[in-house]
Amino acid sequence: MDSDRRDNPAMIRMWRIYRTAKEMCMDRGYQMLEEDINISLAEFVDRFGKEGDHEPDRSRMGFSAKPSEAMLIKYTDPPTPKVPNPQPQIGEIWIDFSGDENVGLKQLRDFMQHLVSTSYYSGILITPKPITGMALRLLRGSTQFEDGPRGGVETFEEQHLLVNITKHELVPKHVLLSKEEKAQLLERYRLKETQLPRIQVTDPVAKYLGLRRGQVVKIIRRSETAGRYASYRWAI
Amino acid sequence: MGPKSILKSSAVPADAVDARKPPVNEQHLQVALQHANIIQDQKNVEQEILNATLELLEFPPDSKADPARPSPSDAHKFKTLVMPFQPNDYDALIEERNCADLCGYALCPRPRKKVPSASKLHFVDSRDRGVQIVPKKMLEVWCSDDCARRALYVKVQLNEEPAWMRRTGGGQEIEILVENTEALEFALPLRLKSKNKVQGELKDEDGEDIAAAWALADEALAELSQERGDKDSMPRTELIKAKIEERTNVKTPSAPSAETTASSAHMAIEGHIPKSDAKKTKDADDDEEDNDWDD
Ligand SMILES: [Zn+2]
Repeated sequence: MDSDRRDNPAMIRMWRIYRTAKEMCMDRGYQMLEEDINISLAEFVDRFGKEGDHEPDRSRMGFSAKPSEAMLIKYTDPPTPKVPNPQPQIGEIWIDFSGDENVGLKQLRDFMQHLVSTSYYSGILITPKPITGMALRLLRGSTQFEDGPRGGVETFEEQHLLVNITKHELVPKHVLLSKEEKAQLLERYRLKETQLPRIQVTDPVAKYLGLRRGQVVKIIRRSETAGRYASYRWAI
Repeated sequence: MGPKSILKSSAVPADAVDARKPPVNEQHLQVALQHANIIQDQKNVEQEILNATLELLEFPPDSKADPARPSPSDAHKFKTLVMPFQPNDYDALIEERNCADLCGYALCPRPRKKVPSASKLHFVDSRDRGVQIVPKKMLEVWCSDDCARRALYVKVQLNEEPAWMRRTGGGQEIEILVENTEALEFALPLRLKSKNKVQGELKDEDGEDIAAAWALADEALAELSQERGDKDSMPRTELIKAKIEERTNVKTPSAPSAETTASSAHMAIEGHIPKSDAKKTKDADDDEEDNDWDD
């Protein structure tokens, strides 16, 4: 029986998605336990398999994550005379796996209201299929949406989390710069941010890291001739 | 494309500064302003439609409301909210209501129909085209054929032109299919009256556009009437005044015969199957026939 459940493709698929979601949170800087990320298939089946059949129970898979100390610092603006004690622009996140095949305005609005009522800073909704066009429209304006959480909402399609793209050998390492680091970079090279090469926030790696408009990432590549070298991208 | 080094980028400023200079030419400024305004208008309309969709998502508020006899306030609200919609926005509204497991017609509080079978495709028999394969999803859009008809009646009236490009502003008054005409009369201007008013106020070409739109709506209505099995003897004005007889007896079981089989509910694709004698010559007809709700 147990081996049946473990061989179930739907189970294996969901297990991989779950692990990528956890890795993504860790790579963004949230506190994450090693053993949580390396959860075995057997344990996953044990915790999230539905009784009686071989399907994963998405409603039990949701989890939250708190920002690490380093992440809090990275997301805190440098103090200014006007704002001597700036607050970090990041907080606890809630990741949910939608059990609804079709996710539209209703599901997205319910998710946002849930985040607000439970005081999460931001949230990620992982959906079996692409969300509707109207839901996408709501999402684009979600940071201004009065009923939404402060840090906004992101959605991912399950199939885009089947593999962790950042683990691919051709994808260079992307590191988010804090506002202070960004200012130093621009100062050092006497640049305006608009002069930097750009990265779309919809770019798969940018989306994985949850980049916001205006942030700068450092991209570290390895080259046989030059060793390691870095470039920078301005998120738009 | 190789990675750009930060040093290379610093060489850019010479022309970059030029490009960022504000347009000195007054004309350029005008054009830029005009474009900015258009984009702003577009954004405003998109936001308006999003808000309307959110409001109509779980409409009407009363879970016992009758889609054939909406309350005057519900009817008024619905008609006002859908005015800026284009037909594809309206389809999006139906999709959203279906996501919420409700009948696609926004004046209907009932759940959408669920086809118990798990298969994604279904066979539907129709007299003129024989057996067709229809996605299950399409069979589950409405609670009943009547709602499909009511919803389509609204869709054919919607302006194809995006609301921010409409010279007449938001849009024209939308009419709905109802039984309680008397109760709603104040909210339902007669078509002839509004036609006269419109033609009196607008330039000829606008009048023609509107007349054409009405002609299109009339065509669709005629088609609807045919689909319902009405005889041609029923004058159109009857339809316009919305004195539609609810076919409440449609589900009454009766002995199968060739005739009843052809018109009974399980044969129709949500009421979208015209009879074989429907005119097939017009392009508009083809558009309305089967591609309406499945995208
Ligand atoms: Zn209905």
